[in-house]
Amino acid sequence: MNNEMRLKRFFEIMPGALSWGIIIFFIVIAFINPVICAVLIIIFDFYWIIRTAYLTTLLVMAYRNLHKEKFRNWIGECEALVPAADWRKVYHLVIFPVYKEPLETLTHSLESLRMSDYPKDNLIVIMAYEERNPLARVNAAALEAEFKDEFFAFLSTFHPDNLPGEKRTKGANATWAAKRAREFLDTKKISYENVLISCFDSDTCVDPEYFACLTYHFLTSPRAHQASYQPIPVYNNNIWQAPSFARIVEVSSSFCQLIESVRLEKFVTFSSHSMSFKTLVDVDYWPVDMISDDSVIYWKAFIHFNGDYRVVPLYITVSMDAAYSSSFFKTIVMQYKQKRRWAWGVENFPFIAVGFIKNKRIPLFTRLKRAFNLLESHVTWAVWAVILVLIGPLPILIGGVAFNTMAISYNLPKITGMLFNFTIVTSLTWVILSRTILPPRPKGVSWTKNIVMVLEWVIVPIAILVLGSSPALDAQTRMMLAKYMEFNPTQKLRRVV
Amino acid sequence: MSKEQKIRAVLFFTAVLVFIIGLPLILSSSLGYKFNPRTFKFTKTGIIGIKTEPEGASIYLDGKLLKDRSPASIRELLPGKYNISIELENHYPWKGDVNVSAGQVARLENIILFSLRPDIRQINKEKVTGFWVDTEKAKIYYFDAKENIIYTSDLKGENFQDVGMLPEIVPAPKKWKVSPDRKRAVFFNPNQIVVSDIGQEEGRALPDTAVILNFANRKLVDVFWHSDSFHLIAVTDRSIEVIEARPEAVAINMVDLVRRNTPCFYNEKEDALYFLDTVDAPGAKPIDNLYKLDLNIKSSPFLNLKKPKSDE
Repeated sequence: MNNEMRLKRFFEIMPGALSWGIIIFFIVIAFINPVICAVLIIIFDFYWIIRTAYLTTLLVMAYRNLHKEKFRNWIGECEALVPAADWRKVYHLVIFPVYKEPLETLTHSLESLRMSDYPKDNLIVIMAYEERNPLARVNAAALEAEFKDEFFAFLSTFHPDNLPGEKRTKGANATWAAKRAREFLDTKKISYENVLISCFDSDTCVDPEYFACLTYHFLTSPRAHQASYQPIPVYNNNIWQAPSFARIVEVSSSFCQLIESVRLEKFVTFSSHSMSFKTLVDVDYWPVDMISDDSVIYWKAFIHFNGDYRVVPLYITVSMDAAYSSSFFKTIVMQYKQKRRWAWGVENFPFIAVGFIKNKRIPLFTRLKRAFNLLESHVTWAVWAVILVLIGPLPILIGGVAFNTMAISYNLPKITGMLFNFTIVTSLTWVILSRTILPPRPKGVSWTKNIVMVLEWVIVPIAILVLGSSPALDAQTRMMLAKYMEFNPTQKLRRVV
Repeated sequence: MSKEQKIRAVLFFTAVLVFIIGLPLILSSSLGYKFNPRTFKFTKTGIIGIKTEPEGASIYLDGKLLKDRSPASIRELLPGKYNISIELENHYPWKGDVNVSAGQVARLENIILFSLRPDIRQINKEKVTGFWVDTEKAKIYYFDAKENIIYTSDLKGENFQDVGMLPEIVPAPKKWKVSPDRKRAVFFNPNQIVVSDIGQEEGRALPDTAVILNFANRKLVDVFWHSDSFHLIAVTDRSIEVIEARPEAVAINMVDLVRRNTPCFYNEKEDALYFLDTVDAPGAKPIDNLYKLDLNIKSSPFLNLKKPKSDE
């Protein structure tokens, strides 16, 4: 193991060690000195109340942006650009990495492209199949028959299995497809600078104005090639059919992304997003051996441009499938696995830590701040629910008679209760906002579902218990023990009504 | 910096400010400190926590009515003794003195305010001289000593049913107990044990196959059912005996007792009889010991006596 490998291993251990360290510290201190433990819990509770209030305000701000931008005519805005920019020369290259997703899901995603109001002659669509899937060529033929003439180009690529240096990840497939796209652009003599690449999850359905909105922001952003463009992911494709538990979790995920969209200094790409093709080539494509390709590509560009790389929020939605299965238990397991995969984004930390050490041209403060932000967000994710739900009652349970006669033992549950009441207030805000990002109720879905979709927010505490910290703790522990995760796409169920 | 980012910065610093200012206040309050703005000093105080059943009672602290009703916390109390009075209309009041210590909470959390008009009502509809409440099966067993009838009802005093009869015994039975399987009842006076069937089959005529067991030369103090609902443990004034609840059964003398009318307790769950008996100590006063007689079928031998019989 060389020095760089040792350094990377050290940073792989750090998040899990910190998270477990904090949890163990709280438990040990609860036994040794329940008063100190109670004081620390009250500090954390109060911090959490302030943080939740702050983030809920940001959510409202982001929602206002989303609502405001909804009514903009992006094609018209592109036409009206001053000085006039030839927006029609901007090509959109859309890659859908596919593994075993059903044909129906892919057709639905491609339909949304067909419905786009952006000129189809500027859309290049690549269906990136995995060669190891025996149905890949059958599906490719079926989709080519239907969509071949709809866009400037409709290509199918087949990513060979077990290429040297690669793992079975989405990034490896997308990179293979992007390299084929590069060959295609070269043959058509299309400049990379005029191509925006969007790497979409296979169930991603874009808003009809997505590409116009993206083009507008690309043409109006300073140093447009040094930016990724992040739409707001919503899980509306099957949201009316999804069970309450899945719906709550997915809507909360959308909200988290909305909140991040106004914290620009911390904003990192997530899931389906877009960027300059030139930049993608410059940074040598997506990583081929990491699961969280969607965020690592941002950090690759950040390091490549010496810290001068950002994410531009697009207040327009891309809709995906909510992850759910045929039973409540299976849905929980599926959600857990999906959140664990998202939490595996902690693999970004050793990546950027090593990258930051090597690239001294990024200002030291920037490097420290970004690394700290990333580490803090993952560690907080892994410990917050454990501290609030499991460690919170510990001092009272194990404090004994002496502790239970102290004023602090009497006040601790009252402060926790206050926190819970405050969470109800913020949840109400979330309930109201959740109603506004929903698509119209499909035919065949009873109106009573509207009531269910409000009342279902009472299961938030259960969702917090199951999915609050455990997936993040699981992911960090795996990385700490070098039990690296394999990419395992979420098999989503979509009921047609 | 855009307008939105400026708003966010303001929000962020406001949140930080609220945290910095609010945290010491919350922590000091949690630990029982009260800030005195005149002296700019913190004083350590105590709390009285009050919970009553029913809730909503008025609370008086040293005779002064407080704004909050129970459940309530009286905070920021300087250390010392306080008189608490809790009153609720149509209920007996609660009064007491409470010592408050600095940084401590005095919990008055088990206060029941009993009604001035307690909910009392007659359950039986026929004559009754004795009863037994079967909490497991939610039944009341009644015994009418005049008619010698055993009957049952539910806990509300409904669904009455005659379940058994008792032959006349003299003197009248002192105590009676229903067997664990609820099929028999044992009655006894100082010289006789009478076991009566209280079989419950629907429409069945009242059983009259009482078993009578006589105890001459000794007085019965107490009788217990073994968990098998067939054996009886008879504690007399001089011995502990086991006898089958069948006609002409012969009692087995398990223990000879020195102490007369010994206090005893039978634990049906473990089939063990706990009893006191006296032992002579040479050169000293006799002393009492507590003994356990294990009658559990599973623990072999069946009768595992902890105290040896006096003739051994």
